[in-house]
Amino acid sequence: MVKLQKASCSLFALTLFAFSLASCGRTSSTEGVLRVGNDAGFGGAETMDPYDGNRTWPTINMVFDRLIGVDEGFAPIPELALSWSSNVDLTEWTIQLRTGVKFHDGSEFDSEDVVYSIKRMIDPEFDSPIRAVLGVISSVRAVSKYEVLLTLATGEADLPLLLADYRALMTPVDSQSTIGKEPVGTGPFKMEVFDPAGTTVLLANEEYFFGRPQLDKIEVITFADSQSAAQALAGDQVDLLLAIDGKSSSMFGDKTKFTLQSIPSGDWNAIDFRVDREPFGDARVRKALRIAADRQVIADTVLGVGGGVVTCDTPVWSADPYRWDGDCPKDTEGAKKLLAEAGHPNGIEIEIYTSDVEVHMVELVTAYKDQVKDAGIRVTIRMADASGFWDDVWMKESAFVDSWGQRPATQVLNEVYRSTATWNPTGQADTELDKMLDGARATKNQAERAKKYARIQEWLFENSAIFVPYHKTLTRAMSAKVKGIEPIVIDAVRWEKISVS
Amino acid sequence: MKSLVRQILFSLTTFVALAIISFLGIDALPGDGCTALLGRFGSDANIEACRQKNNLNDPVVVRLRDWSSDLLRGDLGYSIKRDEEVARIIAPRIRNTAVMGFVAALMAFPSAIIVGLLLGRYPHTFISKVVNQFSVIAMTLPEFVTATVLWLVLSLWIPVFPGVSVMPSNASLLQLLPNVWLPALTLAVVIFAHSMRTMRTSVANVLNMPFVQSARLRGTSERAMIMRHIVPAALPPVVNVVALDGAWLLTGTFVTEAVFNYQGVGRLAVDAISDRDTALILPIILFGLAVYLASSLLADSLVRVLDPRLRSSDR
Repeated sequence: MVKLQKASCSLFALTLFAFSLASCGRTSSTEGVLRVGNDAGFGGAETMDPYDGNRTWPTINMVFDRLIGVDEGFAPIPELALSWSSNVDLTEWTIQLRTGVKFHDGSEFDSEDVVYSIKRMIDPEFDSPIRAVLGVISSVRAVSKYEVLLTLATGEADLPLLLADYRALMTPVDSQSTIGKEPVGTGPFKMEVFDPAGTTVLLANEEYFFGRPQLDKIEVITFADSQSAAQALAGDQVDLLLAIDGKSSSMFGDKTKFTLQSIPSGDWNAIDFRVDREPFGDARVRKALRIAADRQVIADTVLGVGGGVVTCDTPVWSADPYRWDGDCPKDTEGAKKLLAEAGHPNGIEIEIYTSDVEVHMVELVTAYKDQVKDAGIRVTIRMADASGFWDDVWMKESAFVDSWGQRPATQVLNEVYRSTATWNPTGQADTELDKMLDGARATKNQAERAKKYARIQEWLFENSAIFVPYHKTLTRAMSAKVKGIEPIVIDAVRWEKISVS
Repeated sequence: MKSLVRQILFSLTTFVALAIISFLGIDALPGDGCTALLGRFGSDANIEACRQKNNLNDPVVVRLRDWSSDLLRGDLGYSIKRDEEVARIIAPRIRNTAVMGFVAALMAFPSAIIVGLLLGRYPHTFISKVVNQFSVIAMTLPEFVTATVLWLVLSLWIPVFPGVSVMPSNASLLQLLPNVWLPALTLAVVIFAHSMRTMRTSVANVLNMPFVQSARLRGTSERAMIMRHIVPAALPPVVNVVALDGAWLLTGTFVTEAVFNYQGVGRLAVDAISDRDTALILPIILFGLAVYLASSLLADSLVRVLDPRLRSSDR
């Protein structure tokens, strides 16, 4: 009996110990501390070097600043640059820098840092992903301590918007070897602990040039998948998730505890048709393939109701000032007529390759197949292995599903559609389009430029080999205690203005 | 003894053969560490330079030879994608999974054997049948359902445990422990059901055997009968199930680790596969192989100790 009592006592003590340990692990929100849940985007291979393909976002935007930011309407606003101007043909841009800005190590930010940073961004050997954005810059030099001159290979009126890319961040001279793990920036938060697979800790930069941040600390916590991140927000283990799966929204219906924001984004999916393969060389077939589908139904099916903004084959997203909002209803009879004119009175049979390499890519082709069958377009879906999709299928098979992230109009149009673009996925090479692109980017007057970009997008709807049915809408979820994040694109969010009360 | 040596040799041969097949199988997949590192927009020149630097252009036989000799020297290799020694990446993850597996085993195995013994001793009672049915449900429910239910009840509705783990992979044991309970409990539910049902059936079978009847006729007390006759005879099948479940606790936990964001080796394996990080995938596969072969060896040895008939056939 005594033995039994002893055993019971030990068991009780052990249980108490276990529960006390468990409750130690429960964390809850603290004033002045923001806990941000983040995807394990590169599985622990993340770096703080903003120009590296494995850069960890959004942490880089807490530590570093751009020369130029964007406001809520996606118009360029000063960040580390105070002002900018160009010559008449838009090939030379002079940028005046903010004075008295300090890096986190106490050194002063000046034009040498800008020259160093931009040279790394456009270095062909380093081949940074940001080079696709700023490759138009052919040289950069310091005019004075606070003035920089950028020379472009061609006139580009929207260079300020390109410089507002979330990766076009300023880093100190000669920081290449250390910046990946020990970043030193000018941004609102300083790196305390960098642990991309676990919890990264950042402390407020007391001397931030836009004023001391409202928060004392940010913890960026990495999650394996979106479901566990949603669980963490529901259980008060994180305060902010920048993007949640739309299906998880119902977990955060209690408005006294959570805030949900829907933000249109520039992310899009597409189906690409190679113009060098039959029958896609014929513009009538291409248009038939694009008008035979109901885009709203596809967006609702693939992304959920309210999960996307319908797009008429333009890669320019809804908040971009150059967006063309055309009308592109499903036109089955029109598609049949075009196919008949192109010599396919009985319709066509096509194969489209897809893969689960990224979300929504399989769902898109499945929804498309169902939509276009009435027009006599019979689709066979081919599944490709995720690991080889970008190497062996994308840009190589005759038709395949595609996925792109947000880019300003001038970048995405030149990167995806220009005849000489490296990543032009359809092989469509049209000198008329190239001339239109040159004309738009070299037009200084903003209103005139907007008209030219609108004409380019109309041209795409008539001729393009890329079917773009939607741009995605992101759902941002946060604790109701988080203030200072408006329902705007994350590039325009000021981290120093966020607070947790 | 001879049989044991034979089995060790067989396990080693199996290990080497499967290691070579794994290497060749992964090598045959499209893409490699360099395409994984440089991604969709990596230029051909940069991918080629990366392959040269990491000897990925060598013939597969040469790479297999180099990899094997490194492995024999204890060098697990280098992850191009993560820019780190594989051993440094894997070691804390294996520790985390081992801690979780150990806690789950402590929760499940002793109680499963005791409950299985009691239910097997009285197999036709109402409680025995009800518990048996519940254990079928626990076994067949997908892990993520069990995990989600436990999270809802023990983290959201009754906030006792942290819902998900928010610790770094190399956290200290003290930091790790609060995050272990919910994932361990999820795993414990599954393996408890397996082991308990096996024990219950085994005990029920043993009860009908002649030597038990004979012991009963000799007037052996109930306690002595259970401890000296029933348990030793009922345990061998359970040992095999426990060994298999124990191996599963170290190698098959990726769903539970993903649901609770637990930084174990299962989650690492899934990340490595989706990243095409071949340098990392192979040692994880070898770890899994070693665990299964070792547990099988251990189970067979234990069964030999428990079952005198097998010992005599060894001679």
